Amino acid sequence: MNSTTTAPPRVRARHPGRREGEYDRFDPLFERLTTLAAGSAEHTRLRERLIAEHLPVARHIARRFSGRGEPESDLVQVATIGLINAVDRYDPHYGRGFLPFAVPTIKGEVQRHFRDATWAMRVPRRMKELHLQLVRASGDLADRLGRSPRPSELAEHLGISRDEVLDGLAAAAAYRPASLDRPLRKDDDTSDGYGEQLGETDDALDIVDDAEYLRPALRKLPERERRIIALRFFRHMTQSQIARAVGISQMHVSRLLARSLAALRHELGGRPGG
Amino acid sequence: MDGADHHAPAIAARDDVEIRLGAEAVHLPVVRAVAVTIAMRADLDLDAISDLELAVDEACSSLIVLARPDSLLICRFTVRDEEIVFRASVASDREPPSTQTFGWRVLTTLTDRARGWARAGQVHIELAKAKPVSAPEGRAEEIH
Repeated sequence: MNSTTTAPPRVRARHPGRREGEYDRFDPLFERLTTLAAGSAEHTRLRERLIAEHLPVARHIARRFSGRGEPESDLVQVATIGLINAVDRYDPHYGRGFLPFAVPTIKGEVQRHFRDATWAMRVPRRMKELHLQLVRASGDLADRLGRSPRPSELAEHLGISRDEVLDGLAAAAAYRPASLDRPLRKDDDTSDGYGEQLGETDDALDIVDDAEYLRPALRKLPERERRIIALRFFRHMTQSQIARAVGISQMHVSRLLARSLAALRHELGGRPGG
Repeated sequence: MDGADHHAPAIAARDDVEIRLGAEAVHLPVVRAVAVTIAMRADLDLDAISDLELAVDEACSSLIVLARPDSLLICRFTVRDEEIVFRASVASDREPPSTQTFGWRVLTTLTDRARGWARAGQVHIELAKAKPVSAPEGRAEEIH
């Protein structure tokens, strides 16, 4: 899809600690991958190995985008998706090797994440900073209080007025997570340990009458979102508890829940506005 | 269509907010924004603010599906000492949403009380979210 073979060759030199050409040794493996039937055990194994061997590249690219307000763990996950796409789409018979193809593909995925996942409108810098302050302060206070803080507590903690807190929280509404349109990925490819409870949750679904429709709808959600839905609605964890368990902010949990519920409504009822 | 509002008591002058909108999903952001503003001003904690917003969204979405074409969605927020009550209704000949569905589970998980009923050509949903009990002075420090 992305074009790709035109990436500047210097990208190889950008991986400090990795000698230039170190990844060339995988070229024969990519050749081999094209000869194997997709879905065969050997293809799967080789594909997974190639993904794993190149993970440092994805991590390296993710790190270069860190410090811009998105959690690094999210960025690594997104970069890994880019890497998987690159492995799946790479054709060793064209171009100058895998890395010149993969690096722009991975970067493109991360950039798309930023485009989708950052401020939906122009928000004054002061508001962005206030928002970041609020995210950090609510994490700190949640640890201390054992529950999420109230606006008045945030105001006191930060030494600002309650109105400012309310403005900052409202600004959070202009900050939106990546869109649902991202292609679905295979769970085992990006799994970071979220999968282990899903079997149990599956049984819990029987509590509701529409479980038979809910299951396939849930399966269409990205794994993390599915897990968050399960923890909130079948395990009765609070948003703050989920935030801690998943390693993201409560505000991000809130956004993901809103997005997932809308998607589920859409899937379950074909309701308008889903 | 208008005047079909069966909310029993007249709107309380001080603490009630009522909004009427076309029963279309496109208006949901307005109701969500009002829910968030009211919850923040009532000083609910961030979890509860978001829960109320999600619940209001879910309740209104499920009512809009039941609404007669070109009818109104009538929403009222009542801020009481101990809780925020949200009531919404649409003109509809249908039954209220089943309490055995995932959608209803969402409502009961996110709020402290949820009920739905149909009466006189209107379907209603009522939700209540408890306000936090004021923590005794110095409690935060104590915990720390």
